Parts: sequence; C-alpha cells; structure tokens
Amino acid sequence: MKAPWKTSQLAILAMVASSIQASAQNPVQERILILESAWNQAVQLRDGKAVEPLLGNELIYIDYDGTVMNKGQYMASVKSSALHAEQVTNEAMKVRVYGASAVVVGVYREEGTRHGKRYLHRERFVDTWLNREGAWVCVASQSTLITH
Amino acid sequence: MKSLALRILVCGLATGLTLEAALPQTEDELAARTMIMALENIWNNAEKGGDAAALSLILDDAMVYIDEDGSLLTKMQFLEQVKQTGPQLQSLVTDAMSVHVYGETALVAGTYRVTGVARGKAFHREGRFIDTWVRKNGAWLCVAAQATPGAPGDVK
Repeated sequence: MKAPWKTSQLAILAMVASSIQASAQNPVQERILILESAWNQAVQLRDGKAVEPLLGNELIYIDYDGTVMNKGQYMASVKSSALHAEQVTNEAMKVRVYGASAVVVGVYREEGTRHGKRYLHRERFVDTWLNREGAWVCVASQSTLITH
Repeated sequence: MKSLALRILVCGLATGLTLEAALPQTEDELAARTMIMALENIWNNAEKGGDAAALSLILDDAMVYIDEDGSLLTKMQFLEQVKQTGPQLQSLVTDAMSVHVYGETALVAGTYRVTGVARGKAFHREGRFIDTWVRKNGAWLCVAAQATPGAPGDVK
C-alpha cells in the first residue's frame, strides 16, 4: 500500500504530466518541469502532503517580500487558511542541469485571495534542485516581484 | 591595477581548488566554503568598484541575474550594469551569509545593504539574495544570482 502522500503526489503528477510541453530538451529537464508544475498544483490545492516530498529538509525559501522561511515554515504557509491561490502558473521556464543539480529560472504567476483580499503576483524565481538517490528535491527557492 | 590584482587572486584561488579536489569530502567541503566566501568578497569589491572585468572571471557565461525589480539579466547585461552603477555605490555590505555545499554545487544565502548616490540623490536598499555556484573544471563559477528587496530585520 502506498503512503498517502505518495498517492497524492502521483495523482498530481499524472494531472500535470500531460500539460508539460515537449520543450524540455532531455528527460531530466522534463522531469524538473513536471515537478515544478506538481508544486504549483499542490500550492493551489493547499496540499502540504504533496509539497513535502518535493522539498529538501534544508530548504531555504525567500518569498517575494523578502521573508525567509525554512521547510516547516513554508509548509505552514502553503496550508495557511489565510491564503487561497485560485490560479498558479509558471511561464518562460528554463532548466539548466549541472550534473546532480538543476537550476530553474522562470516567472511564477499567482492569483487568488489573501485575508479575503484579491491579489495577483508575477514573480521571477530561481529554484535549485538536487538529485538525491534518484529523487529530485528543491533546496532553494527565491522569488522577486516583477515591478519593472 | 585593481582588476589585475583581483585576477591574480581569482587564479590563485582556482589553482588551490584543483589541489583540494583530492582531499576527503569533508575537507573538500570546508575548502569549498572558504573559496566561495572569498569569491563573494571579490564580487562585492568588484561590483563596488565597477570592475566588470574582475567580476566576469567568476561568473559563468550562461549566468542569469535577477535584479530587485524582477528583471532578468544575462551575464553581459549584468556586467554592463555594474560598470554603470559601480561608481554610484558608497557601500555594499553582505551579511548573515550561509554557504551550503552539495558536491559540485553550492548555494550562498544572505542579506545585502547598498547605499550610494545616483543623480545627486542618496539611496539605500536592502534585501536578501541567493547565489548559486557550480564547480566547473575545478573553478567555482556563479550560474545564478537573485536579489529580493525587503527589510532583513523584519524576518518573519
């Protein structure tokens, strides 16, 4: 029997796999793009169990407002009832693979409500992924609000 | 002259790395941390001095820089910006830095404070950054750097 989070993760992966375009140049890049989309889906669904295996325990997360979070704090923010992300998408993603690590640069677009107020963010992000025993986990994620 | 001195320092550090590659993992990691902190200091000095030539030596050709306004700069665009804005800077201080080494990849996370004068007007900016370094042929090169404005003192 699969652990619940695995079932959840696989369900999300199955949902997003079809949406990944064949733009990725190799299987690693394609895999990373799928994980990025799975992360977005999980955030949208506030599914902490699906997010958890995507992140390394030493995650450094810098939000668009400069707030820095560790994995536990980030997980709590995903599950926060104050946040309701209705639409989460990534644009213009590029994946560069350096052996057992990969760096993703892209634009994150999130629309929803926070504390009852509507918001729309477009943020440029960099995510750094590491391959650990065959599984890719994100160890650093930083976003900067696009204001130019 | 400053550029030459920085080049010599970078070359010396890179040579040292080649020797350290044969050491046990923990010592290699320690050496990598020391190296990367040195490179971060070189970066600050070069940026403050508008020394794009020195900075170029420690940046990967495919490096991407995400500026405080979310704009995406290539290496060449970033170096051009450094040439233009360097003379405006009075101080560039990075602090609270942590270095995380993962084999041939390393991350540096920290805070920055910049003060200067542009068009006769003083400015002060601060925020957080993550620099991503990759070791290529024994030399550490920055492949991605990002700045996010905010008040580091207000960390939640």
